[in-house]
Amino acid sequence: MDQVRIIEIKEGVFEQNNQKAQELRDSLKQEKVFLLNLMSAPGSGKTTTLVQTIKGLQDEMKIGIMEADIDSDVDARTIQQTGARVVQLHTGGMCHLDAEMTRQGIDALGREDLDLIVLENVGNLVCPAEFDTGSTKNAMILSVPEGDDKPLKYPLMFAVADVVLVNKMDVAEHFDFDLERFKDNVRLRNPEAIILPISARTGEGMEPWLDWLRQQIERQQ
Amino acid sequence: MHELGIMFEVIKRVEAVAKQHQVDRVEKIVLQVGEIATVIPHFLRECYPVAVDRTDFVDTELVIEMIPANGCCRQCDIVYHLMKDEGRCPNCHQMNFDELSGREFSIKEIVVAEGGKNGSSPNY
Ligand SMILES: Nc1nc2c(ncn2[C@@H]2O[C@H](COP(=O)(O)OP(=O)(O)O)[C@@H](O)[C@H]2O)c(=O)[nH]1
Ligand SMILES: [Mg+2]
Ligand SMILES: [Zn+2]
Repeated sequence: MDQVRIIEIKEGVFEQNNQKAQELRDSLKQEKVFLLNLMSAPGSGKTTTLVQTIKGLQDEMKIGIMEADIDSDVDARTIQQTGARVVQLHTGGMCHLDAEMTRQGIDALGREDLDLIVLENVGNLVCPAEFDTGSTKNAMILSVPEGDDKPLKYPLMFAVADVVLVNKMDVAEHFDFDLERFKDNVRLRNPEAIILPISARTGEGMEPWLDWLRQQIERQQ
Repeated sequence: MHELGIMFEVIKRVEAVAKQHQVDRVEKIVLQVGEIATVIPHFLRECYPVAVDRTDFVDTELVIEMIPANGCCRQCDIVYHLMKDEGRCPNCHQMNFDELSGREFSIKEIVVAEGGKNGSSPNY
């Protein structure tokens, strides 16, 4: 007969990722690189917002972008046209990035001379919220057509976001979207979240967002 | 759904532990999942065969132990099961509680066999 024995592990499955994420966050701090993890549902405007953000900041700092949108390089090419450095991460159909994949992406991008790295996470409101990527801060985009009740349906995403950008404000009049109700719903989950209405298409509202980023990047220096 | 990616992580971790302990064969992998955890046991089970494909764990059984979601009413100070009655306190019927358990997701243990190299080899 075989000997059967039990080996206790007793480890949270997310613990290893959390540890790696913290290591990455610490090393970025030392190297004075600010890493932003940008999350949203597909089509909310991550890439469009990034293009506007790069245009607004590229004269002041060096920016690198990591694209993790599902196995296509359309977004990466759009970003490349702005002149920012960009790498496409192939997630192999994964619904989120973890800290290890993020670190590999940063290594591929090269971080030495960069002030700001943005990770365009996989378009998904559930899974990315559960995995600490090692980012310095998290931002998420909710676009007006998605509705003002989304914080109630995706509480974790809104809980982990330091900033919530409310995008596509230019079409707000066509939707039954109440910004105040939305803010109340976010605050139920995350009283500290900064909520900024923008239109990545028209550029409206970009300045407060760029200011927030400038402040954060300065703090990392 | 991210259960597949998570399952790969679990298998990687188990592989490392098995190697470290020089285990011949892993009979069971035991996970603990809280009732309100963000992973769904049903999906974990569905992803499992894919995650163990072409590993040493194709014949390893996956066991999932559920951990009940309990809360403690802030008003009455009693502990109760959150999955009943929408999480209302059985005494005051309010939903004003501190969460005590239910979000766990961990690898509890592995059950290993020593002696034979695999299930079909003869043991003396
Ligand atoms: N009306 C409007 N459309 C926008 C805005 N921002 C992005 N879009 C459009 O929404 C679609 C998805 O945008 P994209 O940036 O690719 O979203 P992503 O999938 O989150 O990266 C594109 O057709 C954009 O032109 C906006 O502020 N207003
Ligand atoms: Mg995109
Ligand atoms: Zn009570």
